Amino acid sequence: MPKKIDDNAPISAKKFMDELRRYERGSVSRRHFLGVTGLGMATSVMAGAVPMLAGSRGANAGSIGDRVSMATWPNYFDTANFETFKKDTGADVQVSVFGSNEEMLAKLQAGGTGWDVFVPTNYTISTYVELDLIEPLDLSRLPNFVEKHYIKRFIDPGTVNGKVYAVPKNWGTTGFVLNRKKVKSNPTTWKEFWDLSRTSATGRVMVHDYQLTTIGNALKYFGHSFNSVDPKELADAEKLLLDVKPHLFAINSDYQPGMRSGDAWMSIAWTGDGLQLHRDIPEIDYVLGKEGGELWSDFYAIPKGAPHLDAAYAFINFLIDPEINAKEVHAHGYPVPDARTTALLPKEMTQDPIMYPAKDLLDALEFGAAVTLTDPLRAEIMARFKAA
Amino acid sequence: MVETINGTVDVEFHGVTKRYGDILAVDDMDLEVSSGSFVSLLGPSGCGKTTSLRLIAGFEQPNAGDVRIGGASVVGVPPHKRPVNMVFQNYSLFPHFTVAENIGFGLRQLKPRPSKTEITARVGEMLELVRLQGFEKRRTWELSGGQQQRVALARALINRPTVLLLDEPLAALDRKLRQDMQIELQTLQRDVGITFVLVTHDQEEALSMSDTIYLMDEGRIIQMGGARDLYDEPINRYVADFVGKSNFFDGEIAEADTSGAVIRLASGRVLRGRNPRGVESLNRNAAGVIAIRPELIHIEKANGSASLTTDVETTARIKNRIFLGDQTEYLVEAEGFGNILVLASKHAESVSGGFSPGDFVNVGWKESSALALEDTSKGGRPTAVPVPKIG
Amino acid sequence: MASTGNTGGPNNRVTAMLLLPTTLWFFLLLVMPLVVIAVYSLGERAPAGGYQPALTLAQYGNLLARLKAFTNTLTLAPLGTVLCLLIAYPLAYYLAVKAGRGAKPFLLTLVIIPFWTSFLIRTYAWIYILGGRGIPRLLEMIGIEDVRLIYTPTAVLIGIVYGYLPLMVLPIYVSLEKLDKSLLEAASDLGASPIRTFFQVTLPLSAPGLVTGSLLVFILLMGEYLIPALLGGGKVFFVGNALVDLFLQSRNWPFGSAVAIALVGIMLAAVALYLTLVGRDRDRQNVSVL
Ligand SMILES: Nc1ncnc2c1ncn2[C@@H]1O[C@H](COP(=O)(O)OP(=O)(O)O)[C@@H](O)[C@H]1O
Ligand SMILES: [Mg+2]
Repeated sequence: MPKKIDDNAPISAKKFMDELRRYERGSVSRRHFLGVTGLGMATSVMAGAVPMLAGSRGANAGSIGDRVSMATWPNYFDTANFETFKKDTGADVQVSVFGSNEEMLAKLQAGGTGWDVFVPTNYTISTYVELDLIEPLDLSRLPNFVEKHYIKRFIDPGTVNGKVYAVPKNWGTTGFVLNRKKVKSNPTTWKEFWDLSRTSATGRVMVHDYQLTTIGNALKYFGHSFNSVDPKELADAEKLLLDVKPHLFAINSDYQPGMRSGDAWMSIAWTGDGLQLHRDIPEIDYVLGKEGGELWSDFYAIPKGAPHLDAAYAFINFLIDPEINAKEVHAHGYPVPDARTTALLPKEMTQDPIMYPAKDLLDALEFGAAVTLTDPLRAEIMARFKAA
Repeated sequence: MVETINGTVDVEFHGVTKRYGDILAVDDMDLEVSSGSFVSLLGPSGCGKTTSLRLIAGFEQPNAGDVRIGGASVVGVPPHKRPVNMVFQNYSLFPHFTVAENIGFGLRQLKPRPSKTEITARVGEMLELVRLQGFEKRRTWELSGGQQQRVALARALINRPTVLLLDEPLAALDRKLRQDMQIELQTLQRDVGITFVLVTHDQEEALSMSDTIYLMDEGRIIQMGGARDLYDEPINRYVADFVGKSNFFDGEIAEADTSGAVIRLASGRVLRGRNPRGVESLNRNAAGVIAIRPELIHIEKANGSASLTTDVETTARIKNRIFLGDQTEYLVEAEGFGNILVLASKHAESVSGGFSPGDFVNVGWKESSALALEDTSKGGRPTAVPVPKIG
Repeated sequence: MASTGNTGGPNNRVTAMLLLPTTLWFFLLLVMPLVVIAVYSLGERAPAGGYQPALTLAQYGNLLARLKAFTNTLTLAPLGTVLCLLIAYPLAYYLAVKAGRGAKPFLLTLVIIPFWTSFLIRTYAWIYILGGRGIPRLLEMIGIEDVRLIYTPTAVLIGIVYGYLPLMVLPIYVSLEKLDKSLLEAASDLGASPIRTFFQVTLPLSAPGLVTGSLLVFILLMGEYLIPALLGGGKVFFVGNALVDLFLQSRNWPFGSAVAIALVGIMLAAVALYLTLVGRDRDRQNVSVL
């Protein structure tokens, strides 16, 4: 007998259009859709794609130039704020969205980006400094950055050799999402995550196409550091990954569609995606492995040779204005290390365990280490894992 | 095979009609091609010749009527199961095969397939037949038009079809080659003894090659017969006009019986002519025409005295003269007749010494040379002629 | 080429001048990048990624580390080409030979319409069609349970066939459209059944379109990365994906260049082999490939 068509039936036209629009907005997942496709290099100019951004010129147009260009992650901004900025200053905001820090670095190394602002993750900043790709910040031009309101550990990575190169944007964690209706046990550790993926959840688990988190959390299975570059420890991780590989649903940082369709039951995930999935599908939970894992923070920074330096400062200062920043958080769901902004957020957000996990869980987490970004062995292991 | 009084019949049409949408390409057509004959379907472009051929080959199916080959109805039988082969208008040689492969194509389709040596031998025979020995390995596009045509002939003949169909096979050749090929085709037909049905719009080609000609118009057969029948005894103006050249004097049928008719021209002049249909007389008062072949008109110097050899005579002035080599064509103007075309033989020219434009001459003809015909061009469709058995 | 201008005739000079932009273009777009990549492939990865000059064949020695990507590509690209061919041929045949005069432009437009949207979006749509709520759910309704399509080699093949079908259909269509239909009648007249006519006449004479389409699809497939990335879920790995990883993730430009050069080499060899095989037959037909 044919089954009754229910809500889980094949994707409806409306649903499909919604998903397509999500894709078009660049908001399929936090960072990796474009990385996966390799199209991160192909800049998508949001100002052109979003008609409302092409609005009228502000009163004081021209004082900082007519545009500012930013490289950031998908679904990580509020376009309404860009509109406000344009109204205030007359500068168009042009956004390129990227898939991974590696890719952002690759583009800056290749040169000629034309970016004024970019959004590096904590562990990459020292490398940018080393490679002389990042501009030290003149904090006097960022009056909205008041250090005492910020959580210290989220500021620190922005300072290299005593110089401030970047100011915090958001922070978050890397855990895993799981669909409680499908996964009957209650995994709380990375060990359980990996073991489940080889047993009862075979064919249903996704891991990131991203060496830092996938190798990092595989290292956690053995109790090694998330950031290890020790060849022996990495060999353990590789062995686990190769063993798990045939059981995986996909190696893909674009895990929301799989989780939403029910094809995937578990996936390595970031805070914002966990929040979005849980909000839409309550049986999907976001879990931080007890052994630890990644804690991260993203920053606003200015690349060397930014063509619109004045606009860059004005834009960063605008975005870290608590009022504006709170709107950003409403749009993307990532916590902010700035107490002034957090104070403006509603209780549902500030008490949300996904955005603000329990202290003991947080304490076990580590920041990604700079060395992982450039370590050839980690890159090679990831490639071998994918190519296996 | 169907036995008739005169032997077996290879192809028959009985009331065959073929429509393409609104176009009536073949209209209630009857046809009988007796075994071993060389038959032409002659007519102007668009009169339905190719369609008739395609009905025989099986590329088209009739909307009505019956097509028979060797006495058996072939309606619904696909082309590859019919014992006829065709030489296509553009030859349609396979560009990816050599000459030998093209010729052997038909043999390779046989079940059981003949052995390689047998195919080679038969292809060799065909090459010899069409005088293309040594061309086996050639590409068909390297050949001249005449050679291509011979390949097409050999290819179509190799399976010894009951009937060979040829659609304007000489149209693409130049004049000299065309004439050579006419003879060659005739010889070939006699040698292989296969029935040929040839389609052409060239009356000279039809007259020179075929035993029997079907003259068609608008999907129907107007007259059938031997070359002599069509030329000497055309049953109406259309035939007299299409086959060979004729002078036509239009008028009204004043008197008529089965042997002939009198036609009054607009000028008031009255002319008598033979009735080639013989059995029924023309309709009195209908539009009629006197037709006279130009070579049957006598031309001589205007010396006042009437010629002993002609029944009708008039004076005329030479308007134009065309030297054709073996004969000379004069266009003369005669009062009450208008323009008259006259063909003088070399011999007559040597006697008379020839004429120049402006010369005054006497022209005349015997009444037995003149034909009194219905003028179908002024009176709707021609009367259908019952197809006589081929003699 | 432009260098023939030295024979002096004004025509030659004009020809040379007319060809100059093309020659420059050819050089800038095709030769230069290849030279750059060849040079990079002899270098070393800089400590923080990128390229540092060196003269070593070490990168080539390391090629076996991507063996799986090469074998994947070399199985799925030909397989995809063959699948495209098998599906495209009847389609093109129908369009060129069977479709009515009225329907033909409409059907041709249908073949071309997908090109009006981005390839990315179209391929992305397949994630939903092949995903758990797409075709597998439909199959479930008729009692076929637990079909997994998305992120499998099958999904990649489906994506390939979908994406590349028009590129195969169009050249075959053109060659079938050009085919003199009276040749088919001639074959039939000479006793060939429709099937034999197809194999003896239609197929060999549409070979140019077939070769063009296959080359086009095969060459593009050898460099494919989008479809495996989106529909293979990172598990079906092509050389193209290895390249994206090497240039965008690990930023190992020299190794990436070596892989790229190897890919170009393999591709040239494969195409040459294919053309030789086809050429033997083509020689008999005097039909040009392109
Ligand atoms: N396939 C076809 N579709 C439509 N009309 C056709 C087709 N073939 C022939 N006709 C029409 O039928 C008539 C007879 O054509 P055809 O037999 O080719 O004449 P012929 O060979 O005497 O020149 C013409 O009016 C022609 O236009
Ligand atoms: Mg014709």
